[in-house]
Amino acid sequence: MKKPSLSRRQRMLVLCAPFKEQRITDRAMRAAVFRAKKSEEFTQQQGFDRAVAELSQKTPMPPEVAEWFTKETTVAPPQRTWKTIATNPAILAIGIAVVVIATVFAFRVMERMSDFPGAETARKLLTTASSSRSIMLDPVKTEAGALGDLFFMKHRLNHYDVPPEFADLKTLGCRVFDDEEGHRVAQIWVIEKRMQFFLFPAERDPKTGAVHDFSDWRYVEQEGWTGVVREKNGVCFMAALRGREKELTPYIAKAKQ
Amino acid sequence: MMGDPIKAQEIFQATMHEAALRAAQGELPKDRWWLFRDARGRCLEASEAGIQAEDVEMEEHEIASWAPEQIARLEPEQLAIWIAGAPEPQRSALAFFYLDHFDHKDLLDLIELKPAEFSKHVANGRQQFQGWLNATFPHESA
Repeated sequence: MKKPSLSRRQRMLVLCAPFKEQRITDRAMRAAVFRAKKSEEFTQQQGFDRAVAELSQKTPMPPEVAEWFTKETTVAPPQRTWKTIATNPAILAIGIAVVVIATVFAFRVMERMSDFPGAETARKLLTTASSSRSIMLDPVKTEAGALGDLFFMKHRLNHYDVPPEFADLKTLGCRVFDDEEGHRVAQIWVIEKRMQFFLFPAERDPKTGAVHDFSDWRYVEQEGWTGVVREKNGVCFMAALRGREKELTPYIAKAKQ
Repeated sequence: MMGDPIKAQEIFQATMHEAALRAAQGELPKDRWWLFRDARGRCLEASEAGIQAEDVEMEEHEIASWAPEQIARLEPEQLAIWIAGAPEPQRSALAFFYLDHFDHKDLLDLIELKPAEFSKHVANGRQQFQGWLNATFPHESA
């Protein structure tokens, strides 16, 4: 039989390895025994130990001692401490799962708390922006602010105006399409930072038809894309780019000044 | 541990008496191996008071494949006397190890030895016992 290569610690463990499998409760001991099992030396050691244990079991015991000597009367059940419960792999796995679920839930709640009317549509349009190619748009080279008239004249889209903060940026192209809910959406591609603008109808109360308006700029994020949205006259404008909020902030700040 | 059934029975009864007293007073220790620990302590006390074994260096032999046959020829009392004659803490290590009642961690906790020390005592004891077996029941190829 081939002699297995064992580390010093494994050799030490093997020399005092229990001769019954059920007594091996320690992982390091189990690993050492697993490796040593293949050697003849270990087989002989185990045979020796079993024979000695068998002989010791034959030790005559006076009846008055024998009636006491059961495991139930000599060994107290192991005590379950908080530490043993906490280090139980099943408890640990449940704990980690609960923490992950709670984190995701908290993240979603935080996200919803900072939401604004039309945020869901804005996120969908960010996904559209990430998959759009410039060839999909009609080439139009002008200032973004000038496209409001085009949308009104050509597509009968009233108030589809680019806000002054972004009106001076040069365009590459534009298009008008219907989203999943049949709303008319205008998309503009500008040269600067390969930004895309979207104009879409603001969210309305289904009963009264009143617009859920908000006056200030709101940020929205989706899969590495960031948008900044504002509502005016029942139409939302969103400037979107691949990147972070800080890349859009200068445009908004410039307008405030 | 004692190699003497009468002394062993006295120690066992004293331990059980102590356990009964403590139980009656509601003071049973939290240590699950208390009974074994207490019995071992009493054995050590009794051994110190009695005749001490000579400190003899025992011959160590490699474990032989025919060792189980040699061991089968022994009487349990012979094994008990041999283990009882081993010096502490090797005696406790061998006695508890072959009692086949504890896992590795429990053994270390009970005998209060470091893993390397425990391993050394068990391994040396095994080889010394093999040496004694070879001397007692010589094998043709031994």
